[in-house]
Amino acid sequence: MNLKVFLLTLSVLFIFTNSNAQISKAEIVATGLTCSMCSNAINKHLKSLTEVDSVIIDLNTNTFVVHLKKETNIDPRILKEKVEKAGFFIGSMIVTMSFENVEVADNIKIEKDGLSLVFVDTKTKVLNGETKAKIMDKGFVTKKEFKKLSKSLSKYPTYTSDNESIYHVKLM
Amino acid sequence: MRNIFFLVIFIVKSFSLTGQFKIGDTIPHFTLINNLSESTNLSSFKGKVLLVDFWASWCAPCRKANKKLVDLHKDYSSENFEIVGISLDTDRTKWLKAISKDKIEYTQLIDPHGFDAKTAIQFGVEALPASYLFDTSGNLIAINPTEQVIINQINQIK
Repeated sequence: MNLKVFLLTLSVLFIFTNSNAQISKAEIVATGLTCSMCSNAINKHLKSLTEVDSVIIDLNTNTFVVHLKKETNIDPRILKEKVEKAGFFIGSMIVTMSFENVEVADNIKIEKDGLSLVFVDTKTKVLNGETKAKIMDKGFVTKKEFKKLSKSLSKYPTYTSDNESIYHVKLM
Repeated sequence: MRNIFFLVIFIVKSFSLTGQFKIGDTIPHFTLINNLSESTNLSSFKGKVLLVDFWASWCAPCRKANKKLVDLHKDYSSENFEIVGISLDTDRTKWLKAISKDKIEYTQLIDPHGFDAKTAIQFGVEALPASYLFDTSGNLIAINPTEQVIINQINQIK
């Protein structure tokens, strides 16, 4: 085979797999005045999204495990909006994403599937494969936790900047 | 134009309401397994004041309500009154454990499919606990009745 064709195929393949990696799963804990698991509303609202494949309710951890369809991109903010439409708030959201040889470090920003991610409290390392990350931004943690985080994460200038297009994530 | 708008809203609303179980409807016929593994038909309770209570072992507000229902059952079971609990638990063991822990003596049935359970859909259960009060003719008279409403209904037939 011609080396040029081989390299071209390889680079196309690389681009393809790179853009192919999205959020595959979101684990959501919802909070509110009433028992979130006792209502069918969150489940219904999440399932109404075309990107959502299934919602599994883990009753031991009070978590809504949202499995997303392959080949779809979803902005975590859309999931948050659905939970809020159901009358609840996000207590925590942990997303599973796959990375292929992406080096991350503390306060480094990467662009991934249309999302801007800033890594906080992160040691330098290379991410490979399925990776879980917790979203630390306002509205994705409890109000109480956000108050604490506003102080502890104040060294990250983007954190308190109210910039909704950036997600601050912590590797789990 | 405005009238047509309201007419459309009215029609849509009335359709969405008919999809749900409503006041005046009769006890549906369905058979579920009870905690003694016997099949029980809900309509066999017709003739008594009947409270159908949807719950689950993992639902904290339901467990709290169970306490009140247990007392209510103790006080009025000699009257023409019955409570039927329908659990949406998917785990049978947890359901049975909760029954013994809450000391429930009234009829317990299980439809182990969470909110996707056929009976839950039929009754239009969107949140737990959810209870439905039927009169002696088997007609639905109240959804999520207070204890007083239930007692009044029992006293009416004396």
